[in-house]
Amino acid sequence: MQQDKIFADHVSVAYEKDDESLLAVDDVTLSIQEGEFVVIVGPSGCGKTTFMNTLAGLVKPIRGKVFMDGKQITGPSAERGVVFQQFALFPWKTVFENVEFGLKYRGIPKDERREIVRKYIRMVKLEGFENSFPHELSGGMKQRVAIARVYANMPQILLMDEPFGALDAQTRTIMQEDLSEMFMMEKRTVVFITHSVDEAIYLGDRVIIMTARPGKFKKIINVTADCLIPNRRNLGYDDVVNLKAFRDLKRELWGLIKAEIVEKRIL
Amino acid sequence: MSMKAFGPQFLERIYREKVVLSLSSVLGFIFCWYLITDVLGLIPALFLPSPEKVFFTIYEKIFIPVGQSTLFGHVGVSLLRILVGTTIALCLAIPLGILMGWYEDLDSVMTPIIEVLRPIPPIAWIPLAILWFGIGLGSKVFIIGIGVFFPTLINTYMGVKFVDPILIKAAQTLGAKDKDVLREVILPASVPLIVAGIRIGIGLGMMCLVAAEMVAASSGLGFLIMLGGDNLKPELSITGMILIGIMGLLADTLILAVEKKVVYWKKESQNG
Ligand SMILES: Nc1ncnc2c1ncn2[C@@H]1O[C@H](COP(=O)(O)OP(=O)(O)O)[C@@H](O)[C@H]1O
Ligand SMILES: [Mg+2]
Repeated sequence: MQQDKIFADHVSVAYEKDDESLLAVDDVTLSIQEGEFVVIVGPSGCGKTTFMNTLAGLVKPIRGKVFMDGKQITGPSAERGVVFQQFALFPWKTVFENVEFGLKYRGIPKDERREIVRKYIRMVKLEGFENSFPHELSGGMKQRVAIARVYANMPQILLMDEPFGALDAQTRTIMQEDLSEMFMMEKRTVVFITHSVDEAIYLGDRVIIMTARPGKFKKIINVTADCLIPNRRNLGYDDVVNLKAFRDLKRELWGLIKAEIVEKRIL
Repeated sequence: MSMKAFGPQFLERIYREKVVLSLSSVLGFIFCWYLITDVLGLIPALFLPSPEKVFFTIYEKIFIPVGQSTLFGHVGVSLLRILVGTTIALCLAIPLGILMGWYEDLDSVMTPIIEVLRPIPPIAWIPLAILWFGIGLGSKVFIIGIGVFFPTLINTYMGVKFVDPILIKAAQTLGAKDKDVLREVILPASVPLIVAGIRIGIGLGMMCLVAAEMVAASSGLGFLIMLGGDNLKPELSITGMILIGIMGLLADTLILAVEKKVVYWKKESQNG
């Protein structure tokens, strides 16, 4: 039997706030296979970031355990790269130095590092900006740097927390297409968080809908395995969102999320 | 970078206009001073000497010693004191601030002591400083050092403490260990606050310098200022004050230039 790449076993996460314990993630179990693109979608504040940080090893669960390749996750590691919603670039480093950051700790020699950095800067279409500083870039370009930085570091798992959330609609669409293309070029295991239903269906092999806080998994939809949108990865964003299969799925998902928002009155 | 869009000529013009304005404001100030002393005679020379008398005093004291040395001698002594005091204070405050920000235990041990010592005005240390270090270089360096030390320490500590946690998380998930995070993230991220702290510190250090020299010294600009008062020669006091002012201005300009160099990565708007 193939071992799960990631296995979250009855995980609950809470925050201490003013002597009160706030349950953010409630008893979540999930296994992710190697090479899978898993999208978690849910209303804001439902615990998506918290769950992802738990997978990254940045937050410790109060109950349950998280495993990678059968080994318990106890802290952050370069094997689980993170793309943060706020870009999190080092502002004093150039684009090149940002992308190179993790490679130094992998003991890769300088020449080789340069090659790798060049390759991924090309992949995110930022050639010519190697020597720019983050403050000189637009939001979309910053997030491209962050994606290149994580890809270049060759993590086994890519964790992306609403990476396109801060971008305008056009930039976002292009970034989604490019990410889909990159995913096909270099198959990685991806956990992608969003609150956009369209983005979830467009990108995810598997889409998980979370309930409002405390976050549980409400429903899991196997977009790829059940072949719900045939040939999706070879089509552009606009073509996909106009497919009937896409619209049907979107209606279903949106119904589930809307129910959460209305039911729990989190508006 | 975006400023390039305006073209160098445009920038140059703005700059020139600024310089012209600043220059005219200084000249205007001196002119008013001239007006109320020499022309209108509103204030007796014993209270406020005229500008040309002050300038003549400055010129004269370059060649004729006051006390033990000429004007440059006094400037040199003050400069030496502030340099030594500042250097020692920075060498202690910056590492201590970084360590306190990084190691919580050290923070808990040091904070109570620092919180008690910090509100004491540096000049309150003058009697003890003289007792411990005599009236030579040592006591002045000590007083100036105290002035520079606390603002630098506090800012460095804050700089380390308030590094955006997302940057630390990013580094950790890219494989950086604790020591790498300290070197590659914490230190560079806290540079802007450290430099700001040094700037405040040196400003305070200059005040401490003058205070220390006024109480216990036979040289330095503070001594000149005091001597002018004792001998009813306000032009001598004003000479000392002007030179202190110029020294402060130069120090500030220098630090701002350094800041621009090391904080190149902040948005222009944030840079002031
Ligand atoms: N560091 C924290 N301390 C206290 N509460 C937090 C913290 N981070 C998140 N929370 C709370 O936990 C809940 C889930 O947050 P989060 O995981 O960020 O949600 P999402 O990413 O789905 O918007 C929210 O109610 C939020 O206010
Ligand atoms: Mg979030």
